Amino acid sequence: MNGSGSCRENIDGFVKNPINSDGRIKIVTKTYALTLNIRRYNPDRAASWVQTYKLDAGPILRFVDLFRRINVEQDATLAWASSCEHAQCGSCSVNVNGRPMLACELLVENAVTLFGTTTFKIAPVSVAPLVRDLVVDWEQAYERVHRAKPYLIKPKEVPAGMTEHRISPQELARYEEATRCINCFCCAEACISGNRTFIGPNAAMAGIVRLMDPREEEKGERLDLLYSEKGIYRCHSSKACSHVCPKQIDVAHFVALAKEGAF
Amino acid sequence: MGKKLQIHSTISCDVLIIGAGGAGLRCAALLHEKNPALSIFAATKVAHPQKSHTSTAQGGMAAVDPRDKTDKAVFHMFDTWKGGDCSSDQNVVRKIVDGGWDEVRWLERKGIHFSRDEGGGISKRQFGGHTVDFGKGDALRAVFVADRTGKGIMDTTWGEALKGGSRFMNTTVVTELLFKTKEGEFVTVLARATVLATGGSGQVFRITTNCRNNTGDGTAVVLRAGLPLMDPEAVQFHPTGIVGPGILASEALRSEGGILRNRDEEPFMERYAPKMKDLAPRDIVARAIETEIRQGKGVMNPDHQIEHVWIDLRHLPDYVHEVKLKEVASFFKTYANLDSRTQLCPVRPSNHYHMGGIPTNEHGEVLTSANAVLPGLFAVGECACASLHGFNRLGTNSLLELLVMGRCVGERVLSYLTEKRAPAPKGAGEATLGLFAGYLEAQGGENVALIRQEMREVMTRQVGVFRIEKGIEEAIAALISFKGRAAKVGIATKDLRMNQELLERWELDNLLDNSMTIAQGALMRKESRGAHFREDYPERSDEFQHHTLVSMTEFGKVAFGKRPIDLSIYESGGESYERFGIMSRKY
Repeated sequence: MNGSGSCRENIDGFVKNPINSDGRIKIVTKTYALTLNIRRYNPDRAASWVQTYKLDAGPILRFVDLFRRINVEQDATLAWASSCEHAQCGSCSVNVNGRPMLACELLVENAVTLFGTTTFKIAPVSVAPLVRDLVVDWEQAYERVHRAKPYLIKPKEVPAGMTEHRISPQELARYEEATRCINCFCCAEACISGNRTFIGPNAAMAGIVRLMDPREEEKGERLDLLYSEKGIYRCHSSKACSHVCPKQIDVAHFVALAKEGAF
Repeated sequence: MGKKLQIHSTISCDVLIIGAGGAGLRCAALLHEKNPALSIFAATKVAHPQKSHTSTAQGGMAAVDPRDKTDKAVFHMFDTWKGGDCSSDQNVVRKIVDGGWDEVRWLERKGIHFSRDEGGGISKRQFGGHTVDFGKGDALRAVFVADRTGKGIMDTTWGEALKGGSRFMNTTVVTELLFKTKEGEFVTVLARATVLATGGSGQVFRITTNCRNNTGDGTAVVLRAGLPLMDPEAVQFHPTGIVGPGILASEALRSEGGILRNRDEEPFMERYAPKMKDLAPRDIVARAIETEIRQGKGVMNPDHQIEHVWIDLRHLPDYVHEVKLKEVASFFKTYANLDSRTQLCPVRPSNHYHMGGIPTNEHGEVLTSANAVLPGLFAVGECACASLHGFNRLGTNSLLELLVMGRCVGERVLSYLTEKRAPAPKGAGEATLGLFAGYLEAQGGENVALIRQEMREVMTRQVGVFRIEKGIEEAIAALISFKGRAAKVGIATKDLRMNQELLERWELDNLLDNSMTIAQGALMRKESRGAHFREDYPERSDEFQHHTLVSMTEFGKVAFGKRPIDLSIYESGGESYERFGIMSRKY
């Protein structure tokens, strides 16, 4: 492991039982001595500071598990956000060493490998106003998604004699990836265009999906937003959005389609 | 000490929906469609409705396509009745099954991205327990959005509620028709009708597939208002949750040939179900795994400190890992850093779903007893108990329920809205302010997270997959001691804005209240029925052929009532009625 020297490997140290002669299931326990420098904020005193927590943790604990352990063992006052805790709701986005990530799917072991260190600087995302510690006001970030109207503005009538629309798997495949977006705002956080001037990659994508959906009849209003002052021409094509997306959606691809008008 | 707590403001609206998941927002969408002038507030505990637990449902939504020549509504009703171990209300079963395909069409018109077949139609897949011809063959009955059907439903209902003009009150919890928000304010909401759609209470158990926010707030608030809960002891455990995040590793692992192994790598299911082995029904597999763990044949995960068994997928061809089991294989990779092609993967029974909840009639109106309605209060979704699922829920039936019942509750609310809005009753909110002031003023060195952890351990061990009188009694005694310790939690954060310490202190009370009703219900029900399994009473008993109603006057002191199970399909003498009698649940 990226040789910080703080990883203690202790084969067979914890569970003695399941080691066969051929060594098939070896329970290997490791412990990482971690340092988390967490940015804190107390709204009552309007005070901001960085607090250092040190803890030993096994390789497959996730950062949400670390926060929970800090609450139990060290500091009940540390506030952090999560909900589903398996990358399906996008409530736990934080910056880890400057990179926006979901705390629920970042394993200790992977973080150590990715950043080559056991010291992590954890800060709230800046794409939404800060409320306390790592908790932000997602409602305000979502305002931009709401502006992009995440629904069919004017749904097409189902053709006469049919009960549903027909959409071929090939047609769906053109935009299906984009429908996997969970609005965790990691892309917006990483985007090099300003949050104030650009509606943001995920909100833009919410509009683009409906432009590609054959059931949407109101294309004009959507194009007006996409090509507006706050629209996709603010995008500098850095592809940071695709790079950080926890769902591995190629967000930049959809923005590029919109720039070409290739819906 | 900080400022004195007070009610910050009063909001008036036509309909207040508490809980903005799929059920709550389906209801909102219906109301907007039928009467665009209504003012609707939807309060949610999470940061935005899209973050709701509905978004995590994977597999599908059951609905019988009326054009399907092989499937029929009556088959689906039979499966639901049998799966629920003859404890579902048949009027509710009929209503929800009959309403299924209309919801599929509604979703499709509103833009859900259902997976499609080659002809461009809506794809369907098979799911456990869903059959045609009363168990003779497998039914293709579940429509789906790849492996994220719940997200598709959430996105669609959220979009429609937003489009209709619902006002979302995010990071907001109900305390007694009073609200606490991230601004740290208590707000009185006056509504002509109120819909509770607050979801489940899975956080009662240590090992659960439920999200962090599912702390049973709605059911606890109802209990504190002196109202009963129904069938709280009916709790479903999925046999194979992934150790760590508690995500489901679906049955597909075993149907593709996955083998469960214990510490010694023995394929132990051969001993419990010699014929069906790893493909035995959910509850049998769950009990087998639990037995292995109890006999010391489990494996302790050193990081999470959770005992588990292995699922062995190493012998399956690569294409199964890469194509058929892609999603689950990726979960093992993401959350346990394991390669299912070469390594054993850790799984164990995990709490999944609460069949019980706030008792309602088939219109979603909340009941104060077996047959008295509380006017103006409605409940829908997992927090409610109508009861579609009886004592065991079939996969894909919960998404169906929240949509059909969400719409039905909306329709019922409309007919109720002729009532005038009442002013706030005298003393409204005082109980809440007193409760929270008490939390803030309490002194002592106890820690909420630690008590919660111990409570969840006890519930998992004593009131989980296996239940026995002595164990449940021990759990009840432990819960009472936890309640005492909770009073000695000192809270350092006094400011109300996003005060996680205060919120978790309040949640702990809710979890304890829910745990107590689950344990008391389980103790009273001296039989085994569906997911409720008593080691000391392993058979179902006709003496308990009724729903449990339980109310709690003070912590630990409960009063029981009974509610008959509706048998209207059987009693109607209509098509195949004879299939809807009391039968044994054998597969």
